[in-house]
Amino acid sequence: MPDFEWRFTLVLLTNGVMIGLMYALIALGFVLIYKATDAINFAQGEFVMFAGFIAAGAAGLVGFWVSALLAVAGMVALGFGLERIVLRPLIGRPVIAVVMATIGLAAVLRGFATLVFGAGNRSIDMPVPDEPLNLGPVMIPPVQLVGAGVSLVFLAIFTWFFLKTRIGIAMRAVADGQQVAMAMGIDVRRYFALAWAMAGVVSALGGVVWGAMLSVDNQLALVGLKVFPVVILGGLDSVIGAVVGGLIVGVVENLAAGYFDPYVGGGTKDFVPYILMIAALMIRPEGMFGRRRIERV
Amino acid sequence: MFHREAGVFKTTYAADMALYPLPIAKWAVAAFAGLFIVIVPLTVDEYYVSILNLILIAVVGALGLNILTGYTGQISIGHGAFMSVGAYTAANLVVRLGAPFWITIPAGGLMAALIGAVVGVPSLRIKGIYLAIATLAAQLIIEWTINHVPAISGGVQASIQVPRPSLFGFQLKTQTELYLFLMFFAVLAIVATANLVRSRIGRAFVAVRDQDIAAEIIGINIFRYKLVAFALSSFYAGVTGVLYTYYLGIANYEQFQLPVSIDYLAMIIIGGLGSILGSIFGAVFVTLLPIATRWFLESFGALVFQQSDLANMIPNLRLILFGGLIIFFLVVEPEGLNRLWRNIRNYFRVWPFSY
Amino acid sequence: MSRVATTILAAATAVIGLAGGAAADDKAVVVGGQCDRTGPTQIVGVVICPAIQDYIDLINSKGGVEGYKITYNELDNEYKVPQAVEEYERQKQMGAVSMLIYGTPQTQALNQKLTEDKIPGTSPGFGISASSDGKRYPYLFPIAATYWSQGAAAVQFIKDKLGGSLKGKKIAYVYYDNPAGHEPLPILDDLQKLEGFELRSFAVPPPGVEMGAQVIDIAQRYRPDFVIDHLFGRSPSVAIKEYKRAGYPLSKVIGLVWASAENDIKAAGGWEAAEGYHTLQFAGAGDDYPVRQEIKAMYKAQGKEPPATMDDTVIYNRGLLDAALHVEAIRNAIKANGGKKPTGEEVKNGFEQIHDFTLSGLVPPLKITPEDHEGGGWVQIFQAHDGKFVKETEWFRAYPEVVAAAVKKAE
Repeated sequence: MPDFEWRFTLVLLTNGVMIGLMYALIALGFVLIYKATDAINFAQGEFVMFAGFIAAGAAGLVGFWVSALLAVAGMVALGFGLERIVLRPLIGRPVIAVVMATIGLAAVLRGFATLVFGAGNRSIDMPVPDEPLNLGPVMIPPVQLVGAGVSLVFLAIFTWFFLKTRIGIAMRAVADGQQVAMAMGIDVRRYFALAWAMAGVVSALGGVVWGAMLSVDNQLALVGLKVFPVVILGGLDSVIGAVVGGLIVGVVENLAAGYFDPYVGGGTKDFVPYILMIAALMIRPEGMFGRRRIERV
Repeated sequence: MFHREAGVFKTTYAADMALYPLPIAKWAVAAFAGLFIVIVPLTVDEYYVSILNLILIAVVGALGLNILTGYTGQISIGHGAFMSVGAYTAANLVVRLGAPFWITIPAGGLMAALIGAVVGVPSLRIKGIYLAIATLAAQLIIEWTINHVPAISGGVQASIQVPRPSLFGFQLKTQTELYLFLMFFAVLAIVATANLVRSRIGRAFVAVRDQDIAAEIIGINIFRYKLVAFALSSFYAGVTGVLYTYYLGIANYEQFQLPVSIDYLAMIIIGGLGSILGSIFGAVFVTLLPIATRWFLESFGALVFQQSDLANMIPNLRLILFGGLIIFFLVVEPEGLNRLWRNIRNYFRVWPFSY
Repeated sequence: MSRVATTILAAATAVIGLAGGAAADDKAVVVGGQCDRTGPTQIVGVVICPAIQDYIDLINSKGGVEGYKITYNELDNEYKVPQAVEEYERQKQMGAVSMLIYGTPQTQALNQKLTEDKIPGTSPGFGISASSDGKRYPYLFPIAATYWSQGAAAVQFIKDKLGGSLKGKKIAYVYYDNPAGHEPLPILDDLQKLEGFELRSFAVPPPGVEMGAQVIDIAQRYRPDFVIDHLFGRSPSVAIKEYKRAGYPLSKVIGLVWASAENDIKAAGGWEAAEGYHTLQFAGAGDDYPVRQEIKAMYKAQGKEPPATMDDTVIYNRGLLDAALHVEAIRNAIKANGGKKPTGEEVKNGFEQIHDFTLSGLVPPLKITPEDHEGGGWVQIFQAHDGKFVKETEWFRAYPEVVAAAVKKAE
């Protein structure tokens, strides 16, 4: 029944868009760090998980909004601290050093979170209705709407930030060339710290939203792996690329799961974004919106 | 006084470039060989031999990864996947054709090398972190393929049981027998790598790592050497996978997933990128770390914490320690345990006349 | 110089550290157990392992087994195989005569070693389905319904629910895309041919935190009469939420044993959200068993509150089942060898004599024999209703011939 298939596709598309925007929320944190400090953060998923734990842990005591704020504050502090302890000593070192440092960081955060918060899963109750919204054939859970909304809001904020504000422009300058920026009188260390703190904020909100959707436990960090196809497609240092990349990955995943799975015996959802990613790497490694890296000899 | 370089004169180029130019080096190697090949199997308890076996297998894997990442500078997060390729190749050969180990081990390595070369093809266009992410994708895609192709994975269980290796009809069963079996391959790997890095290919690898554009200008085909590096490194990984399969008696891709790739990266970083001793140190360190932390916390933790809390805490503290040590080594000693060893050795070079 | 000193100090500590090893107590039987308190299935591990410890403590507090105390050593394997192997060797060194294994890949990896070293290992509710064949896997004991039996039982339950016949009906099989998730597929295929229903399977790739597309496909396109959920870890709760969102009634969903814990219900949003969900259990769920009251009394007698892990009755009771069967096997072994400290082989024979040991219904009426290490494949269905798990059926087993045929066919 052709009509049926359209409906199915529409539902898949909507689901894909919603999930995609939520992926974008995580990718935004990654992009912020890369854009400002040239560091690839393999611990992005763990950031989101940790933030979720803080929010979930506090939610029992102080209610949703305060716990969300606590999560933000906590992640900002974590961002500052991590930048100081882990990143600053590694400035100027080859990229593998920073990559491995963030991998080590991921392990530390996982162990620490379980140690402090225990192994059970906790839920975050967002003060939004549980019942999905009915828009014709499509049902959208309000939690996803909130997540998508937050994503888009941050997209707008960060785009404006990097284009129009002094601080944003200074951060871009630092990313472009540290030496020159320092020569211009910009305090590079402060901007590094700021970038990590901002990433902390985004991770916190990501953690709250993903935690509300899925409930927080230590496997939440695995969504962090999804961030790579998103940022490669969109561009490692592009804010709008994170959102567009997220949308593409979300939609493609869902369509693949809906249409290819029956033929291949399932599991294409995991597989297809990575194929896309490799194709992107071969054709245009800097992604759709990333800046072309010019290697100077 | 021990590490006496004075009074040793070479008269041929070959002697100068030999693997162990100094007498002390020869004595040291002989002593180690004696210790590990003769004394240890005869005296050490089975449990400790089993730990040594795990270390031996890890050494082969770490050497392979070091060739690719340490010597050629290409970061690879897909090492685990190549191990599973080797493991399943060997397992299928054993189960379907009854092949003996001296066929399956090279076969597993070759298959992994082939796949490794394919994964290395993107290195024509992308470098650095992008290549690393591509290898991550390769890891996940290979896992997915094994999971979904029953012809490779041997059915829905995705694991293939493999009998222990047999030598001239004698099946190797105890830990000590397996120890000698694995030691043979570990030594082979070490010697092969040592000769590789001193050869033309090894020097080309280092050139690709340090200044690839300059290397290309003087005529080194960097794409070809990158592919060779991927293939060689994957060969080692494949052999490691086969060795695991024989040691455990089973091939299962769930043993070779992303955390394993990360473990091996940690091994070479903590041990020291671009050095053979570093690979060995790293393999020993990372393999022993969970065991040592557990022992340490069991003995001393009881003083401070409740028993039931302790059981919950130990594994988490282990994770924290693992990540923390990686960061520690990166920040404090970027060249890893190898540098620490070199410091000790350099101290003894001129001892007791340190001035 | 300080660097050299630090290195030497570190090396020395490591060397001293390796010289470990507890002295063996002669009136104690050592049992080894592995657990996953930090890996992907830690939600299960942190409840099952204290449960095992609690049961052993209870037995010891009542004088032990035939005069012997039980020393239980637990080691965490992070769900990694090399760790599991090393811990196996360590427990062997400590004198373990039987092992509680944790994790399907670990079970497969340790199978050969257990057989060589003649130490029986248990893998309740996971592991190798074919290991119910005691002749081929002499030292591996599922002691609970394997994935094949679980799949068959789910189909039987659906058949009963749908009025006794499955001809022409549609069943959806949602599974975690790893080997354990694939396992029931051959049985479901066999049953499909036997009973004439339509089967479609939907894979959920790990980690299973997002399965919107599959659920939408089920709820809107395929519209089956019943859904079998074979998921682990996070995914069962996510699935429940997704079914609700897509409007598919939970009373038409049955979860296999690892999709069936209080934890999953809680994570899915609570009992009201999961109302109607059917769960397959291989150990009785709920608090209504005398052995649990005894354990609570034991804690109170020590002046402590019963631990919160007891509230997760589904997983906790499974731990009790595992430990209890080990104790029974050891009891049988000691009785058979005339009161001496049992060896691994004797404990294995002890397992094969277990029958009619039910702990008042917590444990199904297993009958473990040298040929059947599974004990019959008994399951019980509980439904999430009114804020707790309500017993829906008695212990039953389904399609034993089909499962036996599959076991024979397996390599």
